[in-house]
Amino acid sequence: MDNVTEEYKTLVAIAEKTGGEAGSFGSEDAIYVVVHGNNILASHALPGVRIEATETEDGIDANITVEAGVTVPKPVHLCFGHLATMGRQVIKSRIRLEEKASAEFQAHCIFPNAIEFLHAMEGEIHLGPHSNFSYREVHVHGPEGRIDVRPVSRVRIGEGATYRGDFTLVEGRVGNLAIDIDVEAFGRRSRVEITSKVYGKYDDFCQVRDIVRLTGPESSALIKARVVLKDRSQGKFLGLVDGAAQGARGHVDCTEVIQGEAKAVASPVVQASHPEAEVTHEAAIGRIADEKIQGLMAKGLSTDDAIDFVVSGLLR
Amino acid sequence: MLEPQLLFVKGIEVEREGNPILRGISMQVKPGEICGVLGRNGAGKSSLAYAIMGLPQYAPKSGRVWFNGQDITDWSVTERARAGITLAWQHPARYEGIPVRDYLSLSNPEAGENELSEALKLVQMESHYLDRLVDKGLSGGERKRIELSSIYLMKPKLAILDEPDSGVDLLALGEVMGLFKILATGGSSVLIITHREDVAAACDRSYLMCAGKMILEGSAEAVKRYFLSQCEPCLDLEPSKAREVAASHG
Ligand SMILES: Nc1ncnc2c1ncn2[C@@H]1O[C@H](COP(=O)(O)OP(=O)(O)O)[C@@H](O)[C@H]1O
Ligand SMILES: [Mg+2]
Repeated sequence: MDNVTEEYKTLVAIAEKTGGEAGSFGSEDAIYVVVHGNNILASHALPGVRIEATETEDGIDANITVEAGVTVPKPVHLCFGHLATMGRQVIKSRIRLEEKASAEFQAHCIFPNAIEFLHAMEGEIHLGPHSNFSYREVHVHGPEGRIDVRPVSRVRIGEGATYRGDFTLVEGRVGNLAIDIDVEAFGRRSRVEITSKVYGKYDDFCQVRDIVRLTGPESSALIKARVVLKDRSQGKFLGLVDGAAQGARGHVDCTEVIQGEAKAVASPVVQASHPEAEVTHEAAIGRIADEKIQGLMAKGLSTDDAIDFVVSGLLR
Repeated sequence: MLEPQLLFVKGIEVEREGNPILRGISMQVKPGEICGVLGRNGAGKSSLAYAIMGLPQYAPKSGRVWFNGQDITDWSVTERARAGITLAWQHPARYEGIPVRDYLSLSNPEAGENELSEALKLVQMESHYLDRLVDKGLSGGERKRIELSSIYLMKPKLAILDEPDSGVDLLALGEVMGLFKILATGGSSVLIITHREDVAAACDRSYLMCAGKMILEGSAEAVKRYFLSQCEPCLDLEPSKAREVAASHG
């Protein structure tokens, strides 16, 4: 039991240090779930939100429903993690927002000691008509880790509903990351915004794959990626928007910054399978200019600290 | 050496892409003085600043640089900065997403909100600039003034200011020039690179550069007078001709 308390304290302490709403864990007026490995350490719901979570062999399986018309005032805080060096954790979830529901989810995935680890998230998200959902996922990995991170999401967006997804992995090592987001905005005037921020180091491998099909008339999408790669890390970005309905509008924006021997590939793909759709893109891959780094070194920063400082601005 | 020197540059030669751009430069800066380097565009003033700061592209192929009694010729930019040398670039770099507050704090991590505001006030900027970003949203003059206030916060032993006046409007110029005195009073030596006569007049002593050589050293007034009378007619000189002139000056 003491162990569980320790695990809980460590995970929550890191989560709260890493931004987002501090102090929601353990609070009576907040919704939260804290999972270590396949143990649900703490969970709290409020009227209007149903959480059914079961422990599986290597993780959990959860259904979360925000009932029709309910606006969740504070972010729903999810914390998944493991303090071990090796192992696996698979989080399966189905999140459903009923008509006119509104909620913001903040997930922290915390693996401070992981060296050989698989962390998989398989999420299905259904947004009912005129609902509003924002999902922020922040990862904290240790400095040594070679962790496999596989966030896979399938999102379906109904009429007039909005989905906002934010993925950030800028602390510690990335390891081997493959983000895979597949969105279908089928409702009329549905909206999608996906932002990914990743900082790869050493021999990290970062793959971001964001695919949005705009099948709802007048639906819109913005896919944005900021990927910084240094040392021998590699990055691969695929952002695809298909304008498949009348009046659909989409934009893909990707900036990758490389240092050292890092390699980057960026493929923004836009297609208009409906003649009255409009989709655009911009992509850039560049190095940090010497004068930026030297300007900071002239204030006493080391080369590495100077690069980190420049990058912190790019990923803000 | 009888007089104490803070910076001592001896016979440095720097080449860029096979062209000699500093050709045997020697000079000194004394503790607490405001020292000027004058010269027309292309004389090599910025290159001299980069060589003193230690940018690897400007590493001298011969000659040495001493600072505070130590031979720093092989030191990195970071090591020189930690020893007390800093440089305000002629065109300071921009940083996407970095607030002015964070940028200024790099120069003095201990400085609180009041000290940061004070440093901005010295260059006639309001404290609301702390929340702005050091990116393309700032004008050239604003960016330069922020750089000067960051130098002030750093309290270096030697501040090299490369054309600190350029892009700064006339109203703020008085404050910028006042800052040289404030730096010197605070114990910094200041090396000012300029081709403006009013800025040159704020120096205790000056050098004149031409085509990669130091051709004159003397009181700020004498060097300024020579610069205005002898260098102005020189405006259309070809670089090769300029080298001849510099050679004829010794
Ligand atoms: N990277 C470079 N490659 C070749 N020539 C250069 C380079 N940088 C500067 N120079 C040349 O060196 C000379 C001095 O330049 P600079 O130090 O910028 O002069 P100043 O600051 O006095 O105007 C100029 O003729 C310039 O064209
Ligand atoms: Mg210059």
